Parts: sequence; structure tokens; C-alpha cells
Amino acid sequence: MVLSGLPLAQLLMIAGGAASVTVLLYILKLRRRAVPVPFARIWDAVFRDRQATELFSKLRRLLSLLLQLALLALLIFALGDPKPKASLLEGRHLVVLVDGSASMKAIDVKPSRIEAAKAEVKKLVRGLGNADRALIVQMGALPSPLSTMSSDVTELDPAIDLLSASDTRADLERGLSFAVDSLRGLPKAEVVIVSDGVLGDVAEIARHLDLGGASLKFLPIGKSGTNVAISEFSVRRYPLDKSRSEVMLEVANTNDRPAQVELTLLGDGAIIDVSRFALGPNERLPRYYQDLAGASRTLEAKVRFADGHADDLPADDHAYALMPERRRARVLLISKGNTYLEAALLLDEYLDVTTAIPGKPLPSERFDVAILDGVADPLPDTVAAALYLNPPEGGVPLKLGARLSDFGFDTWDKKSPILRFLALADVQVADGRALTPSPGDRVLGASDQGPILVSGARSGHPFVALGFDPRNSDLVLRVAWPLFVLNAINAFIEEDTGYISSFRTGEVWRIPAPSAVDSATVTDPRGAQHVVPVKEGRAVYLGEQAGFYKLTAGSGSDAVTSEFAANLSDLAESRITPVSELSIGEKKVAPISIGAPGSKRELWVYLLAAVLALSVIEWITYHRRITV
Amino acid sequence: MPRFRRLIWGAFIAAVAGVSIAIYRHYVLGASSASGAFHWLKDGIHYQLLEPKALGVFLVLPLLLFALGRSLADLPLPQRVLSILFRLAFLGLLGLGLSRLVRSEETHKVCTVLLIDVSDSVPDEALADARKTLEAYAKAKGADDQLKLVTFAERPRLIEIYRDDQTALPAVADLRHRTANGKKLTAGSDIRAGLALSYGLFPPGYLKRAVLLSDGLETDGDLLAEANRARGFGVTLYTVPYRRPPPGEVALRSLSVPDKVDVGQTFELVADVYASRATHAKARLYQGEALNGLDGVRDLELKPGRNELKFKSVVRVGGEVTYALRLDQIAEDSFKDNNAFSVTVDVPGRPTVLYVEGQPQRASYLMSALNAQQFDVDLRTPAAFPASLRELERYDFVIVSDVPHEAFPLPAQELVERYVRDLGGGFLFAGGEAGYGLGGWAHSTIERLLPVRMDAEHRKEMPGVAMALVIDRSGSMTGLPMEMAKAACKATLSTLQGDDLLEVIAFDSTPVRYVKMQPSRYRSRIQNDIQRIQPGGGTEIFSSLDMAYQDLSVVQARKKHVILLTDGQAPTQGIKDLVQAMLSESITVTTVGLGEGSNQDLLRMIADTGGGRFHAVPDPNSLPKIFTRETELIAQQAAVEDWFPVQQAAPADFLKGIAINAAPLLHGYVATQLKPAPAQLILQSERGDPILARWRAGLGWAVAWTSDVKNNWSIDWLRWSGFSKFWGQLVREHMRVKHRRELDMKTEMLGGNVHAVVDAFTADERFDNGIVSKLIVTGPGSGASAARRELPMRQTAPGRYEANFPLDQYGSFLLRAEHAKPAENGELKPLAMSYGHVTNPYPREYASFDPDLERLTRAALAGGGTVDPTPSKVFDPAGQKIVSYRPLWNRFVLAAIVMFLLDLLVRRVRLFDRKFLPKRR
Repeated sequence: MVLSGLPLAQLLMIAGGAASVTVLLYILKLRRRAVPVPFARIWDAVFRDRQATELFSKLRRLLSLLLQLALLALLIFALGDPKPKASLLEGRHLVVLVDGSASMKAIDVKPSRIEAAKAEVKKLVRGLGNADRALIVQMGALPSPLSTMSSDVTELDPAIDLLSASDTRADLERGLSFAVDSLRGLPKAEVVIVSDGVLGDVAEIARHLDLGGASLKFLPIGKSGTNVAISEFSVRRYPLDKSRSEVMLEVANTNDRPAQVELTLLGDGAIIDVSRFALGPNERLPRYYQDLAGASRTLEAKVRFADGHADDLPADDHAYALMPERRRARVLLISKGNTYLEAALLLDEYLDVTTAIPGKPLPSERFDVAILDGVADPLPDTVAAALYLNPPEGGVPLKLGARLSDFGFDTWDKKSPILRFLALADVQVADGRALTPSPGDRVLGASDQGPILVSGARSGHPFVALGFDPRNSDLVLRVAWPLFVLNAINAFIEEDTGYISSFRTGEVWRIPAPSAVDSATVTDPRGAQHVVPVKEGRAVYLGEQAGFYKLTAGSGSDAVTSEFAANLSDLAESRITPVSELSIGEKKVAPISIGAPGSKRELWVYLLAAVLALSVIEWITYHRRITV
Repeated sequence: MPRFRRLIWGAFIAAVAGVSIAIYRHYVLGASSASGAFHWLKDGIHYQLLEPKALGVFLVLPLLLFALGRSLADLPLPQRVLSILFRLAFLGLLGLGLSRLVRSEETHKVCTVLLIDVSDSVPDEALADARKTLEAYAKAKGADDQLKLVTFAERPRLIEIYRDDQTALPAVADLRHRTANGKKLTAGSDIRAGLALSYGLFPPGYLKRAVLLSDGLETDGDLLAEANRARGFGVTLYTVPYRRPPPGEVALRSLSVPDKVDVGQTFELVADVYASRATHAKARLYQGEALNGLDGVRDLELKPGRNELKFKSVVRVGGEVTYALRLDQIAEDSFKDNNAFSVTVDVPGRPTVLYVEGQPQRASYLMSALNAQQFDVDLRTPAAFPASLRELERYDFVIVSDVPHEAFPLPAQELVERYVRDLGGGFLFAGGEAGYGLGGWAHSTIERLLPVRMDAEHRKEMPGVAMALVIDRSGSMTGLPMEMAKAACKATLSTLQGDDLLEVIAFDSTPVRYVKMQPSRYRSRIQNDIQRIQPGGGTEIFSSLDMAYQDLSVVQARKKHVILLTDGQAPTQGIKDLVQAMLSESITVTTVGLGEGSNQDLLRMIADTGGGRFHAVPDPNSLPKIFTRETELIAQQAAVEDWFPVQQAAPADFLKGIAINAAPLLHGYVATQLKPAPAQLILQSERGDPILARWRAGLGWAVAWTSDVKNNWSIDWLRWSGFSKFWGQLVREHMRVKHRRELDMKTEMLGGNVHAVVDAFTADERFDNGIVSKLIVTGPGSGASAARRELPMRQTAPGRYEANFPLDQYGSFLLRAEHAKPAENGELKPLAMSYGHVTNPYPREYASFDPDLERLTRAALAGGGTVDPTPSKVFDPAGQKIVSYRPLWNRFVLAAIVMFLLDLLVRRVRLFDRKFLPKRR
């Protein structure tokens, strides 16, 4: 036993003082009230009684004193906060992995599975032995320890209160790895999974499962669950007509019986479509909306049972999408004059073109793309990307090769978004220069005499270089010419049709951002702001909430803002039927038995409880003159 | 106590009890701790009750009051009141203690977790530097501060650096992770896991600081995302990049092949070789097991950084080809695992033709022609026809030539139809003696597939046929044989045209003309006559054959033929001479031996001599079919055996460069009739009969060639210089365009997972939705031994299909996605294919060695810290404070002791009414 409260000397001082006062008060005789009694025979009787009970009275007095001293002793001992010496009794070490996935938001148990889990974990903590220690971990997309490995209820309880469910799936494999790392070298190691058992493909985990000697226990949560879900929701711009886009929405019935559902589609917050339909057992029904009218920016979808009652998991009944926004691209054209180029740039109304004179100082503001038409002006960092046409020596970040004449495109990369829809087979070029790509560069087009179209990146700034003056070819007379210029610009500013402005929660998102910035600010659906790093033109962020997000890069007038949506989109997580027994592969996880509440308390609590009980007894016995 | 006062006192106690319980239920039990009911903020300090239920201590108040009311103690009233107040305060203080009242307080203590990267990419010198840094931190730590150490490679580990309050820093050699048996666990870097482990090491009430010593190279997890999370946990992240140059190391980072490699085409493989310092090495490139023929071994002079190597190669035989590049004899190299890299490429081979020939011994002509045109030909008999569509799918073109219908079962015909219609296969049906109507193909699945019908309309114009059926009616034919023989006679009748002549002679010991030679148009009469045949006794062939000879020799017919049916033995004398005489007058004889009792030698001799065929028939039920086929063959309803030139009826691309009008004559064909459009007649006979017709059947082509492809009707064509080109171009134009549509697949390896994405667009560049896709992953390696797994690709957006799967093996993997679309009947119809490959050559730890300073800088920025901080700066709170909660229960216990003593004082010392003055009235 060790004292972790007041030191022994101090306790002895307090005990000495308090005991002295108590004894002193007992030495003092309580002065009795003088009452004149007129009849002496009564006094005779009184004195006879007194003589007979004097010894008993002394004993009662002594008993009273001892009771008071015992009370004092208990109080003072409690002040010392006595604890069993841990070295004498090596306890268990538990990592409690509490499922914080979306399915734990289910409300089949009131108020929700996660709250039920918290209550169970509190019971578990209270049921631990005195030498046991526990680490509370929220198991979401990544494990999040919320406490240290501690036996202190005052530390573990607040950690349990911090547990919450996010819009992600729980990564059991990572959770178990974390638990094993935390328990390495510790005796009597146990991993406790507190979950509804909706944990994805646990059979895959079984192949790598190595708990390093730790035993695995399971604490089931949840009763049952009926659920319908929006399992996919996204919008995508058409590749040819970028002003229009298509919406995909998938509704799933995760129950074993058919369901009538009502699907509501909201555009910019207003209802634009309500439909009711039937879903078979475990059916997924995709729906497509082409040229959806009524929404200019935001789209939301909500699903519920057609009879109006809600299902047990509201988290997957609401999904979000953003109509692809065509932002105006800022283009810096550095040219001595090129009608074909200027005409091509006029074809896209979403381009803000600023013209600069070669050799003169360039504008200082930020540009998405610079087009250098046969010039060698050095570009500042504020220009994100560059398109080089017929670059002179030193005017392009790669070496120029031999002079070419009378050539064309013999091979070209048809898969490149820059050359999409382009027919280059019979383009005739009078003269130009071969380009010498550096390692990592990509040859997009080549004649039999050498590469003539190359793409690459330097210090995070992408570029495309064309090795000849388009005016010295019949390329400018073809439809391929403006397509080439606009494709290149689109590729630089991520207007590729491959880009979908919807992310899946629980994954690390790489959100397009200006490559010149080091960090950006992500505003989550709750309005909280997170400063996130930007590397290679991508802001890196692990998102765990569904909803609309905003990314702001730069500041002031240079700030670039973009929006995107995130959804759970995880059918496995929407199948919320809980399991009472968890099996990982062929291994069945043993259930955990929670000890009796209260068996894990600090000793001082029991001491104070004893004081309470004794003091009440003392009070009653005093007033009934059993003790005096 | 008077009764009234007792009642009042009792009511008071009851009221106190009721109010206490109500307050407790409403404000304590009814309030959730999460709602903030037990949180208070006063003067910037937070107070909180952790166990509010312990306030139930106050519920003993009524009991105390009750005891007080029944008190026998001799205490003045003020003292009693004081006593109950003190006792109540005493219990209240104990209750507050038990309900764990805590208050917030600010501290400046710092706990720093040092995270040291001990993976293989970190040189020993850098680890020694890290050890020195750890010492510096241990020295800089304040008395109240804490320092903890986590080392990480594949997984993180907490290292105890204090034992019995003494600093015990680990030696450099002990920093690397190993198993108990000494195996290294340092072939990976999971910085994220190290950081995550640290979150659980910060005790409450300490400022949280993490210092990451690393080269910034990670193989799992994402440091940048985790740095952001660290900030969310209140951890300030500092980074200290390792500054030591990487060890002498050469690593093969990639080996890439062009997207498309064709057989016989020279192409370049590009290898990316990293060298940490200038060195030299030898590279060997293997194609399969052998050294690459064009460019196999090369001595390399490597410069520091990235080196790009190009190797020329050519693939001679299609299929999956694995290239492996191996580096050895490297002057300076720390790790051997990264000196080899392999990649597998799927090279489309020569087109493959399945050639099913009814007479395989005569198949060499077409085979040679197709081989000369760069086709791989798989020759099979009808019995060896593929049993599944999957097997048939391997072929680009299928030829069925001169195969009788009964040799080609219905399932095989249906496979051919599905192959053509659903898989877009090319199919050529060639004629011959068993082709088309001659082979009994009329009204078959194959006829339905072909652009021609098999009932030729020129039959009426054909010269008549005189047919004599000589039937054994001996006693052994009694019963089923006789009935089936009659049925065979009737079947012959129905096969003949009205102008054709038929005679039926039944014989036992003597022949009897049951049906005299007459036109077949008198069908009912002939049938009645046939029905009259009754069994007799004996078997005499010669006289019956002679009767048939006599009758046939006097009629005019283009073909004269005898079918002799017998089941027994008969005298042979004179028969051979008779048959020779018959043949000399163009009367042919076919014999049918029924059962095992027939004299097969005799019958075979008759057939051979008589220019006919011998059929040994064990089962009488087969007789009608044999008679029918024999009649069709002889009557030449379908076969036209004349020399004729081929005429081009319509242009066709495959005839370009072929002087078809100068082609040699063909010697025969099977007469068919062209189906209506879209059937196209390309080549025809002089009579206008189809020789070559084609049409699109479903996704593929069905081509009908009514002549044969061997040394019978096409004998002159075999010597024609254009023969090979004709068939080559025909097959090439109509063969299956494999993977009719190919959709691009993008593959990406993130951490240990492969992410495959396919975007599908329709012809008008809209999104192609509702595709059912599956991804087949083959590897590592290639060939039959390679592991194969299938997984679904889910549609995640308009036109987008995705699959994710972990890759925990090393090697090269081929990815093939098969896309299909559900038809109206629910059946899946193949739509397109996608191809990709990923390579996971060795642990990613050995792919890169130059520190990623940018990543570490960004991580520090995201984590709120700096790069290369001094230890004193890390332990400096710099004005930062952290709020921790201090329990106050011991203070309440101290106060309770005071209350206890006061209560005792009040009860032991008379403080009021000391003079015992009686109450004034």
C-alpha cells in the first residue's frame, strides 16, 4: 500500500491535532441543566439507577469516543489516497478500440449506438481491477487514442466522453495494428473491440492478423437495424460539352425485405424532384439525371421510407454533391501577335486572357497558364503552368534538338487529355526543332525525326512544349488547333472530365490547389477551419465528415476558393445489422465480461463511504443516547 | 413533544424528503453530463462534477432530522440547530468529495515525444546523429517536463528511456527493429503510425510536442494528413530531416514498356535506375527465362540521381511476356532487394483460327494457306470442338468444313451461334460432300446463322433421277427391320422430286416389284405399294439386282442409282460382274447391311465396284436417315458438280488485290439460296447460285462458302497463286475484332493498395452507365502458374468504375477488366475490355533514398511546428498553457474534518443556556 495523497507526516500531524481535540472534548463534561426536584424519594431512585448503570455509562462514553476517533481515522486515511502497490500485483493492459464508424450513429439503441458504447466502456472501466490499465482508442478511418494507458478513472472517463462516431468506416486492421504497437512488451495484454460488428471485410484482416500475444475480446453493441441509404452520389461534367453535367445517384435497401422509399433531390437548397419507388431486398438502384434543371451549384439527396418514418441510420440518408463549377482561367499570353492563337483563345468564354509584350515586365498577379509564343521570357512563380509554342533556345525548360523540316506527327499519345479528340495523322509541318525530354517528361507527339510535343513539370509547375510554330504548318487550319490549345489549358487547370468534385469520407483527399502555395485552409461542413499542407498542387486532408467543404488557397485578392463535397458512400457501412459474435477469419473473438461496477474504485472512495455510514449511525445512536 | 408539534415536525421531515428526492431526480439523475449540467465557469476557471450521483448523500438529511426530532440528548435548541447544520455540512462536503468536483488549472509543463525513423533508408551515421539529438533533448528537459521515445520503421515502438528515475538511452545499434530471432523489421516506414502511437503517450496536463527525425520517405500512411490530425490532437509537430548523404545505393525504380506491343515489332523498354553516387554496374535484361536477344547485357556507368536506360526488344510469339532487368556487379550498393525489376506485358499474338474439318486428312491445303497469311490454325475434328464459350473465345475465326450434321451436336452449333452473335466472332461454313443440305444441315441452328438457305430453288431444273430400292424381305427382316425398311423407302420417296423415278423391289428367294418404275409424284399410290411389302423367306441378291439393272437401263435419267438393303447372307456368284456392268451404264449401287448377320464383305465389294457407298447399320431405326441422305447425295438436289467460273456479284474489301475473275474454275458446290438482305452475295456460280455469301449476325460475321476448301471441288484453286491471299484476306476481314471496345484503365498504387479506374463513354461522348464490370488480376508472374483473382468494379460516378485491392505480394501483375451490359432478358452481353498492369517489385523502402525535405517542411508547417528546432525551443512553453483538471475531493475531506470537530464541539460543550434559565412565560 502506498499513499499518493498527503504524505504520512502531514497525515500524522492532522490526525494528532484532530484526535487531541476530540479527546479533549470528551474529557470535558457536558454541564447538565439544574432542575429542582421537590421529592427526595425520586432522587433516591435516580441515584440507585445511576449507581447501577455507571459502569455502562462509562462504556457508552468510551464507545462514543472510539466511534468518533474511528471516523477521524478513516477521514485522515482517505486524505492519504492509499493505493495498492502496483509492483506487487501486475494488472492487465487493455486497449479498448471503440468503433467510431458511421454505423455507430444508428439509433436502434437509444440514444445511439455510440452513446450505448460509451456507457458500456464506462462500465468496463469501472469493472477493471485496481492494477489494470486501459487506453481508450476511437477506431475510425484511423485510430485515435483519446487517453494514455491509465488506471485513473478521472482520466479515462473524460476520454470516453470524447468518443464520437464519424462518417467513415472503421479500419479494424489499422486499429488492431495500433493496439499491438501500444501493447508491445506489456504483460497481460488485451484488445477489446467495442463495436456493432459492421467492420467491412474482416476475413481479409485474418490473413495478416498478428496480435503479438495479446488476447482479443469483443463487446457487442446494437440490437437490430433497418436502413435505406444513398450509396453513391456524384456529378460529372460531360467531356465534350463542359457546360452540362450528369448526376448519378444510387439508392440501396440493405434490408432482407422490400422497401418503399421516397427520394428527394434538392438543388441549391430547394426541392427539385421527389420520387417514390420500391426496392427489393438488398437491392441497389442507380438513377441518372442528365441535364438536371433547377440546380446551379449544390445538390443534396435525401432518402427515407415512403411511409414517412425514418430508418435507424440517418447518417447515410443524406448525400451531397456540387455541380462542377467552371471557374474562369487566367491566361497570360506572351506573344508578338498570333491571330490563330488569339482566335483559339476566344472560343472559350471562361478564359480571362491578359496579353503581355515579350521582353517587357510581366504582370505581377497570379496566372493559371502562360502561353509563350516563340519567346523566352522567364516566368515568375505566380504563373502555375506554361504552354510553349516554338520555343527558342533557353526559352523552355528542356533542351532543343536538331532542326527538322517537312515532318508531321507519326506517333502521338491518344490517351493524353491534351490530345483528346485530335486527328493529327496528316498534319504537315514545314520546319521546327526536335525537343529533348528530360527524365520524367512525357513525349506526347513525335515525328520520325524526333519528339515534337512534350509535357512535364518543373518544381511543381507543369508545362507543354510544341517544337514548331503552328503557323508554319496546316495545324492552325484544322479543328485540332483550338482543341489542342483549350485541352492544354483545361489540363493545366484541372478541368479534366476525369475530375469529380466528390470525395469519400475516411480517405486522404488530395484536393487540387494552386501549386505556388504551401498551405491552404479547408472549411468543413461544421464551419471549422483546418490549415492543411499543399504538396505538388494538391491539398492533403483526411476528411471524416459528409457535407460541403471549401478550400481556400492564398490570401487577399489572390485567394483561390474552390468547393467540393464528401459523402460516406460505403454500402458496407450502411448494412447496419449488428453482430452478437465477431469472427475474424475462422477465429471467433471471445466476448468480454464486464466486472461488477464499483470494484474498480480508488480506496479513498470506500473510506469516505464508510465514514458516511458511520456518521449516520453515530448521529442516531447519539440522539437516542446509545452513545453519549 | 406534543402531538401537534410532532405532526408538524413529521410533515416537515416528509416535505424535506420529498423535495430532496425530487431535486435529486430532476437535477441529478435527469440531467446528462454531456448537456453541461455539471459544468460551471467562474472567474475563468471551469468546475465540473464527474460523479454527480454521489450528491445523493444529501438524501440522508430526513433521516438525520428524524433522529434529531426523537433526540434524547440534553441540548439547547440553538445547539441542536447548529449541530444539524454542521452535520449537514459535514455530509455535504463528503458528498462533494465523492462526486469528484474538479477544477481547471493551467500548466506549462511540456511532454515531448521524439520519433526516430530507424528504417533501412536511414544510414547508420544518421542514426548516430539521432542518438545525439536524443541526448540533447534529455539534457534540455526541465524537471517537470517529460521526454518519451518512439522509434519507427514498418511499425512504431515505444522505447523506455528512464529506468528507476535514471536516464537509460538506447545504443545506436539497438535502435533498429528486429524480432526476437534477429530478423530485421526495417523494410518500411510508417511515419503516420509512429505519430498516432505518440498521441496516447502524452499525460494530461502537459503541452504536447512531437519531434520527428526522419528522411521523410514513407512507404505506408500519409505524413501530411497525419500532421494535420496531430494538430487536431493538440500536438505541435517539429521535424528534423536527416542530413547525412544516403548510403551507396543503386535501385531499379521502374521498367516500363509501351502500352501496345505487337509481335515482330521492335520496341523500347525504359528503365529508371537511381544511384546515390556515381558508380558502375552491369545490367542484364531477360525476356522470360532467356536474355533479351536484341539488347541483353550492358555495362552501366551511373551518375548520381536518376539514370534512364533504354533497351530494344522484340517479341516473336504473342502472349504474356515477362521482362526482368537485373543489376549486379555494383560497386557501391547497400541493399540487394532493389536490384531487380520485372514487368509483364500482354502481347497480342497472331490471329487464331479454329478449323473444324470433316475430312482432317484433307485439311492441309487451307491450313497451309492460312499459315502463310500469318494465322495460327488449330485443326480439330468435329468431336474435339470446344465445349465452352470461354474456350471458343480464344479464337478469332471459326471454320466448319464438310462436317455432317450428325457429327456436330446441337450444343456445339449453339456455341458457334453465341460466339458469332455475342462475342463478335467470325464464322465460315464451307461445303463439300457433307456440307449444307448434303450433310443434313437444313433447318439447323447453323442454317439459321448463315446467310443462305439450304433448299435450293434450282431443283426443278435439274435432270431426273431414277432410283431403285432393292429391299431384303427375308424372314429375318420380320418386325421392326421390315417396318423401318418401309419407312426408309417412304423417306426416299419424300426426298425425291416429282419427276424423279422410283422403283421398289423386295426380294427373298425371288424378287418382286412392289413399286414399278414411276415418277415420284404418285406418292400416295407408291406409299400404299410400299406398305404392302410382307416378309418372306430366303435371300437372293443377284436376281433382284439384275431386275433393278434391267429396269434402270431402259429409263432416261441423269442419275441412276440402286440402294440395296439386306440383313443376311446370299450367294455371291455373278454379282461383281453384274455391278460392273451396271456401273458401265452409269448405274451406281449403294449397299446397306443391317445387323451383324449381313455379309459385309459382299456388300462392301458391291458398293466399291458400283461406285456407291457401303453403310453398316446396326440399328434399324437409322434406316430412314441413311436412305434420305443417300437419296439427297445421289439425287444431287444440292450438289452441282460442274466446272464453272466464279463470278463476283458485289464488291468486298477482302477481294482487293485479288483477280477473282481470273481465278481457276471450281468443280462443284452445294446449291443454296441467298437469304434476303442484309445477306450479301459476293461470289456466285454461272447459274447465280451463292458461292460466297455473308452477313452480319449479331456482333460478328457469318460467311457461307458453298464449294469446298480442299482437293475435290477446289482442286484447281489449290494451285492458284491467289488461293492463300483469298482465304487470308477473307478471314482477316471477318475475324473477330478482339475486345471490340477497349476502355482505358488507370492504375495507381497508393500505399499497399492498387486503385484501378475505368472511364466509359458512349460513341457520342456521353457517360456509359450501368456497366457490369469485373477486374481480373493475374500475377505475380505470368502463365498458368500465376495466381488469379477476380473482384467487382463498382460504378462510383457517371461513366466511372473503380476497384481497390491490397497488393501484398511482390512482382508484376496484369489487370484485365471485362465490361458487360445487361440485355433485356437479363443476360450479360460483353461490351468492352480494359487492360493495365502494376508492378510491386520489392519493398518500397528500397525505391528511394534522397530525403524528402519538402514533405518534412510541409508536415512541420501543418503540425504548427518548425524544421530543425533546438531542444530548448521544443521544451519552452513559449507562453503556451494547457488546461488540466485538478480533483478537489481532498480539500473537501479536510473541510469535513473541521466540520466534524465543530459538530463535536457543539454536541459536547454547552454553548447556550448555560445558566439554565427557565423560559419566561
